Amino acid sequence: MDPRVYESDTRPDWCPGCGDFGVLAALKNALITLQIPPERVFISSGIGCSSNLPGYIRTYAHHGLHGRPLPVAVGVKVANPNLVVIAAAGDGDEYGIGFNHVVHTARRNHDVKLIVMNNEVYGLTTGQLSPTSKKGQRTKTSPDGSIIYPLNPLSTLLGVGATFVARGFSGDPKHLSMLIQEAIKHRGFALVDVISPCVTWHDIYDEVRQKMYKLEDVGHDPSDLVAALHRAQEVDKIPLGLFYRSEEKPTFEELVSSEVTATIPVESVRNLSEQEFAKAIEPFQ
Amino acid sequence: MSSANIVVETNIILAYKMSDDESSKDVTVRLGAAAGDGIQSAGEIVTKIFSRSGLYVSTYNGNQSLIRGGHVWFHVHAGESRVYSLGFGIDYLVALTQLAYDEHYMNVNRGGVIIYDSSVVKEHDFPDHVTKVDAPLTKIALKYEKRPIMKNTVAIGLLCGLLGLDFKLVGDVISEQFFRKPDVQKSNVEAARDGYEFSKQFGTLKKLTYDYTKRRTFMHADYAFALGAVAAGCRFYAAYPMSPASPILHWMASNAKRFGVRVFLGEDEIAVVNATIGASLAGARSLCATSGGGFSLMQEAIGQAAMTETPLVVVDVMRAGPSTGLPTKTAQGDLNMMLGISHDDFPRVILAPRSPEDAFRTAGRAFNLAEKYQLPVIVLLDFAIGDGGYATVENLNPNIPIERGKIVKEAAPDMHNGVWFKRYALTEDGVSPRALPGTPGLMFVAKTDEHDEFGHDLSDVLAGLREAVDMRRKQFNKRMIKLQGVAKEMNPPDVFGPDKADLTIVTWGSSSLPVREALERLWGDGFKVNSYEFYDIYPFPADVESMLKQASELMDVEQNYTAQMAKLIRRETGVLIQKYYLKYDGEPIYPIEVVKAVKQHIAGSNGR
Repeated sequence: MDPRVYESDTRPDWCPGCGDFGVLAALKNALITLQIPPERVFISSGIGCSSNLPGYIRTYAHHGLHGRPLPVAVGVKVANPNLVVIAAAGDGDEYGIGFNHVVHTARRNHDVKLIVMNNEVYGLTTGQLSPTSKKGQRTKTSPDGSIIYPLNPLSTLLGVGATFVARGFSGDPKHLSMLIQEAIKHRGFALVDVISPCVTWHDIYDEVRQKMYKLEDVGHDPSDLVAALHRAQEVDKIPLGLFYRSEEKPTFEELVSSEVTATIPVESVRNLSEQEFAKAIEPFQ
Repeated sequence: MSSANIVVETNIILAYKMSDDESSKDVTVRLGAAAGDGIQSAGEIVTKIFSRSGLYVSTYNGNQSLIRGGHVWFHVHAGESRVYSLGFGIDYLVALTQLAYDEHYMNVNRGGVIIYDSSVVKEHDFPDHVTKVDAPLTKIALKYEKRPIMKNTVAIGLLCGLLGLDFKLVGDVISEQFFRKPDVQKSNVEAARDGYEFSKQFGTLKKLTYDYTKRRTFMHADYAFALGAVAAGCRFYAAYPMSPASPILHWMASNAKRFGVRVFLGEDEIAVVNATIGASLAGARSLCATSGGGFSLMQEAIGQAAMTETPLVVVDVMRAGPSTGLPTKTAQGDLNMMLGISHDDFPRVILAPRSPEDAFRTAGRAFNLAEKYQLPVIVLLDFAIGDGGYATVENLNPNIPIERGKIVKEAAPDMHNGVWFKRYALTEDGVSPRALPGTPGLMFVAKTDEHDEFGHDLSDVLAGLREAVDMRRKQFNKRMIKLQGVAKEMNPPDVFGPDKADLTIVTWGSSSLPVREALERLWGDGFKVNSYEFYDIYPFPADVESMLKQASELMDVEQNYTAQMAKLIRRETGVLIQKYYLKYDGEPIYPIEVVKAVKQHIAGSNGR
């Protein structure tokens, strides 16, 4: 496959050094490695720096409201299961205003992939506390340091029954591409939380590099949910990699498909036949 | 300038007509009991018996937001010719509880009947010229079960006996209703037969012309809309449970696989509407429904659909608000919300079907408009014709034209690497061809930020630059100009009654129906009145101004406090309506109220 098929004529408007460049590169690399033609990919994003991503990679996409990338992605996937559907957004979108959707999309096991560019701060609104900001973090809204503990998205998602939970780092796009590939190949919902530092408001590159280690280097078994929960709770170190994966549950899309939905492509809208209509009316007589 | 709402005494509609009048070719029945007594089921049985006797029906479900206890009632109006609304007063009251008697006895017509069981209900102030049928409903019911749950079935048998209906039909319908409960199926038929036998001592009190060869179809607007949507190729339905829109969800869920609809029960209305937008983008004809409160949550996304130019059909089955209001009661209070959905200006279409038949026809039309013009279409139903009321439906035509608008199926040869599809191309009619995901070479970003023809942001690095300012204006104009196309497809109000009248009632949506029955009564009393029934609400249909100005006098009838439709009419035509009958107590408009309001105006009488 020509690696240029995903190129866009629009250049990212991110700050030089922004973590999101690494995520964009890793995503392109993953899709090209998996040989997925761009017309089969649908990216749904929200509002914030990271959600500008769709214009920078040439696929079908929806750049929508703050916090709502997942429901749009769910609608696309349910309507046309042949598409590879990816929601890409920030921690404000997914762990703040739209966290409800993350929990329920995971619970229902929709076959959509969620990439969260987690920078622990609201960047585009000039640096306020986000749901993943650390206790003590100084921002415009916490001049004396945050008094609140952060949300732990990984352990929360493991708790609600997510079937694929991983964490990557935008500073290691090769490793991140591998995680995104695994997420796309996974049959079901996948969360790839990406530490994607904001060089302007909350630069944590050095801290991450010091604390990070890879789960595959310490023999972590991604089929072990309890071990995954333990790893997800670590704070002194930052584990990267695949925490948990299970394909035991069916996907929502498999459950709502039927002979009829399989034989009627979603775009071929048609009337009911006379017989079907007569049958539909019968209970009302 | 003086304008005033007419106040009509609505809780006493006593003795308006003679129920035993030979010329009366219709009958009204009201069944009253506590929730959990099976009054909904009993009401459906009676409705079905009438429908299979060749009668036309219109019903109303006076239920409460609870599962057991309280007071619920079911009203059936049936007639030999078309009935539109709830008729006049009550001819047959079945009072299974004291509260049912206390609440309804004063509305029983002269010549009417009250059926009750004196071991449970103490009658008082018994109306004159009303037949007292004190029946041992409980005692009979106890023959069949330890709890007297079947007393409603006994009462149905008794009622049908008094009306001279064939018991075979009664038995068949009851048997069918209890199809899934074989252990009580036979005993319910027997209980009804006991009631039927008991009626014989009173003889036949009223007999309409029954035609047992006719099976009339009846449904409420929720079901009719769902059916119409599926018949027009609906492939995706999303909802969060909310009365009175839930029947659409229930019907879709139980018919989904058969008809190829993918049903999504979202975690909230925000998820619901966004998923519907996603499914529509992916190419499915997509629908979601809710009531006012749920719609309030959806508003931001409706603006999004308008901005991304994604076809979207949303149904609001209105209930009495504001806020959570009266969940099981009716209103038409959401029109203003639809006119002003979300922030800033964007195109939207508002349709308000008047009846279940209208709702069926509207579904396919809503999809066509949404897809041809790539904008949100709002359909306003309400509890009175939705979950709350069945009506006879005739001539449903499943051959609904399907118009999907401009869709590009193949990329031009120059759509090579790096080139985006011009999804928001500037066109004369404002509608740009769309592409469905999966089509090679036509990739685009559906963009809720302001964008150029390709869907690239005008909101960040270009914002405020001359070129972007110009494009912003062009894109805004393009979206809004689509309304000019839609306006050509909007119908003016239907005129019910004579072309020329001394008074014209202006009404919309479901309020049209009680107005029709009121007009029929008023014509009989010698009044020259008609009505304009609005059902295409926005963009406002053309030529309405001249219609309104031709009318001698106008009176607005609708179900909200501020006369929202009259205000829209003034905004669009400059015509000021100064007389109103506005109802906002949650109860349906009864024809008698409109009769009284009209008489207060033109006859100066007291409305009797």
